[in-house]
Amino acid sequence: MPVQVSSTRVNTRRVLKTPTALPIHMLPYLLLLPSLAIILLIEFYPFLTGVSYSLHKGSLLSAGPFVGLDNYARLFRSSSFYNSLWFSFVFAFFNVAISYMLGLALALFLNLEFPGRGFCRVALLVPWIVPAVVSIVSWKWLIADRGGMVNVILSSLGIRPIYFLSQSGWAIVAVIAIKIWRSFPFMMLSLLAQLQVIDRTLYEAGKIDGASNRQLFWYITLPHLKNISIIQAILMVIWSINDFETPFLLTQGGPSNATENLILLSYRYTFGRNDVGLGSSVALLTLVLLMVLATIMMRQQRKTI
Amino acid sequence: MKVNRKWLLLFCGLIIVLIVDFPILTVALNSFRTTESILSSHSFLPTEPTLTNYVYISARTHFWTFLLNSMIVAFAASFLGIVLATLAGFALSRYRALILGPYNQALLVVQMFPLILAIIPLFILFRRLNMVNNFVPVILVYTVTQLPFATWMLRSYFDSIPRELDEAARIDGCTPLRGLVQIILPLALPGIVAVAIFSFLFSYNEFFISSVFLRDENRMTVPVGIQSFMQQYSTDWGSLMAAATLGMVPTLILFFFIQKYMMAGATAGAVKG
Repeated sequence: MPVQVSSTRVNTRRVLKTPTALPIHMLPYLLLLPSLAIILLIEFYPFLTGVSYSLHKGSLLSAGPFVGLDNYARLFRSSSFYNSLWFSFVFAFFNVAISYMLGLALALFLNLEFPGRGFCRVALLVPWIVPAVVSIVSWKWLIADRGGMVNVILSSLGIRPIYFLSQSGWAIVAVIAIKIWRSFPFMMLSLLAQLQVIDRTLYEAGKIDGASNRQLFWYITLPHLKNISIIQAILMVIWSINDFETPFLLTQGGPSNATENLILLSYRYTFGRNDVGLGSSVALLTLVLLMVLATIMMRQQRKTI
Repeated sequence: MKVNRKWLLLFCGLIIVLIVDFPILTVALNSFRTTESILSSHSFLPTEPTLTNYVYISARTHFWTFLLNSMIVAFAASFLGIVLATLAGFALSRYRALILGPYNQALLVVQMFPLILAIIPLFILFRRLNMVNNFVPVILVYTVTQLPFATWMLRSYFDSIPRELDEAARIDGCTPLRGLVQIILPLALPGIVAVAIFSFLFSYNEFFISSVFLRDENRMTVPVGIQSFMQQYSTDWGSLMAAATLGMVPTLILFFFIQKYMMAGATAGAVKG
């Protein structure tokens, strides 16, 4: 009804009179123009400037002399760079792999029929939706050196306390575990959305043909999840490598840079050491790395479908 | 037999929920206890609930300023984002053959763009313009960050509105833009509101960009403010937890309204041309 009302109300005379009415084929481009303008300002301009910064020696206050590829050469000689490259990979790999497994298990669980599953679905999304700062406050409390819940439980079991945030190995485990806790709900949600659109009759047909539950899962469920799984995995790799909040808020990259990923490294060079050249080269290399990874994964996806 | 299985599943579900949400629940419950009581006893429920921590952060910190700042930034960014994404999403939906491919790829690059790469030059630029501690750069960066997701979501909403409506409007003498505003927009309104709330949530929760640009205490957003509490009162768990609890209230309320749309949103990036 409202559709008809509004279409009859249109004042045709005014529309026809407008002399500046643009040719119809320009319209889609005009509609994209505002978006493109802001993308150019906020990402393309910084990208070009970033390339230039990475070729200069400079601080936040003033640009310095042109040094060619010297910043990159310095990076490739520094152990900090390899350390953060390695940590970025480890972080992304474990986050995506474990979030996927948890997400899949919980999506399959929530796809079963039981009372209160709507509530469970919403409640399981909470870790994903709360601000990163809030989750870090709560986890910091749980894993605090002394008096933290985890260590109280451990000591009641007669196990010595673990200093999660001051020992490199444990800090890495803690940062990854908390990142998994923050990201598995997204995986769960998208897999569940996909599970719910699989045609029920496929399962019925399978059962009539005498397929076991395991076979149904293997030959009907998994193939239907393949496409979404690959796409969400690509997104999650990108988000993991770009994550600043989890390691920064939990450990600030410490202890002794054990949990410093590429983003934190770039941040430390730029804002901590006031070396814009070095910071920009790390940031640019991160973009290159992400584009290479995304291209490989998308090619893989096209191959498998 | 069948009935038992249902209740067993519910029981398992509740246990899983309890484990997963445990950290958040602890923060909310502990915020009603004094720091001494938090440190001395480990009972899950507060034995003597008190509002001391809330009184303290209300009276002695800038928490309400942080909240107001967050609201301004998140509202402006989601409003700007939704206008841009509506126009672009409509273009992608109705003129898909022309522009879908290249623009989608551009959005994909935006999606993977490391924010630090944008922040370094923008910080230098806006500092030169004397705009550090100004909301404008933060709002602009948030707007761009949300564009890929918002555009993809809205495109799929527009796709679900039949093209015949556009054509009917055109026959009646409507320009396409007017058709969008008067006919398509009212129909897509629920979707647009949901996407706007998503954008709002994202901006409200974001820490990194705000922390770089908003350094003055009167300008901080809630996440930046809580992080500064973390550094200042690292031992005052009570106040910290009260701030964290208050900080997540807006998020949880908005989330409750749009959780229905979450399912559609979770696969928005997967919709291919």
